[in-house]
Amino acid sequence: MGRGWRPILVGAAVVLGTFALAKAHPFEPSAPSTSSAATGDATRGAVVFERECSGCHGPAGTGGGVGPTLAEAGLDPATVTTAVEQGRGVMPAGLVSGQEEADVVAYVVSISTPSN
Amino acid sequence: MPIADIAQSYADLVTTVFSSTIAAKAWFATAAVVLALVQVTTAARIYGKLSFLPERGPAIARTHRWSGRLAFLLTLPVFFHCVTILGFQTPDARVALHAIVGTFFYGVFAAKVLVVRDHSLPGWALPTAGLTLASMLGVLWLTSSLWYFTNVRFGF
Repeated sequence: MGRGWRPILVGAAVVLGTFALAKAHPFEPSAPSTSSAATGDATRGAVVFERECSGCHGPAGTGGGVGPTLAEAGLDPATVTTAVEQGRGVMPAGLVSGQEEADVVAYVVSISTPSN
Repeated sequence: MPIADIAQSYADLVTTVFSSTIAAKAWFATAAVVLALVQVTTAARIYGKLSFLPERGPAIARTHRWSGRLAFLLTLPVFFHCVTILGFQTPDARVALHAIVGTFFYGVFAAKVLVVRDHSLPGWALPTAGLTLASMLGVLWLTSSLWYFTNVRFGF
């Protein structure tokens, strides 16, 4: 086999290694970090939500974008936290993190509580 | 350090500058695409095209090399987040295309680096590898950063 094959073989090995690493994704957070709703501020979360989330979930989570309607959807903190940290469907993981995550989880839980 | 803490530490680090890890990726990828355009432009000049640019010579070659090195470095945090934290996902066509092209990206990069150093290969090999790599970076940007800027928000 000539030297000309070397870039192809090395490239193929790197592709396989990348694929294996991506399938394993070893640093994926395994579980929601904390009880974010308990430590978050829903008022601050509303600001973060409008900035990061309303493009897909609509203003105040009322829908209209590519994401589902969150208003009055009856979501619990763990479900929201998992979606934020690990992504769901087309929603990428990690759109917000840290205190902003806690705040936005508190806000989403507040708007998702059914009104009656 | 526990594995879960690595993802959190990474998030804590990038959010000292950016609003989120996704925003950081979008901007790192955008910077890499800009440098890839520099790569393609300077490569074209090295091959005798785009004669309105400065003369072929050490400055063009140096710009080409350093833009490539910087572009590569800028892709590393994106690689870390996409590959080791998010992993290979195919929930819809955009993400599937992004995941597949992203999986091949560093393979083509490795091949291109080897092609640069192998002077026994035919003349078309290097521009083909370079343009393929730049095109893949463009597809990755269109299916991630552009989506973020147009669907989530345009900002840091």
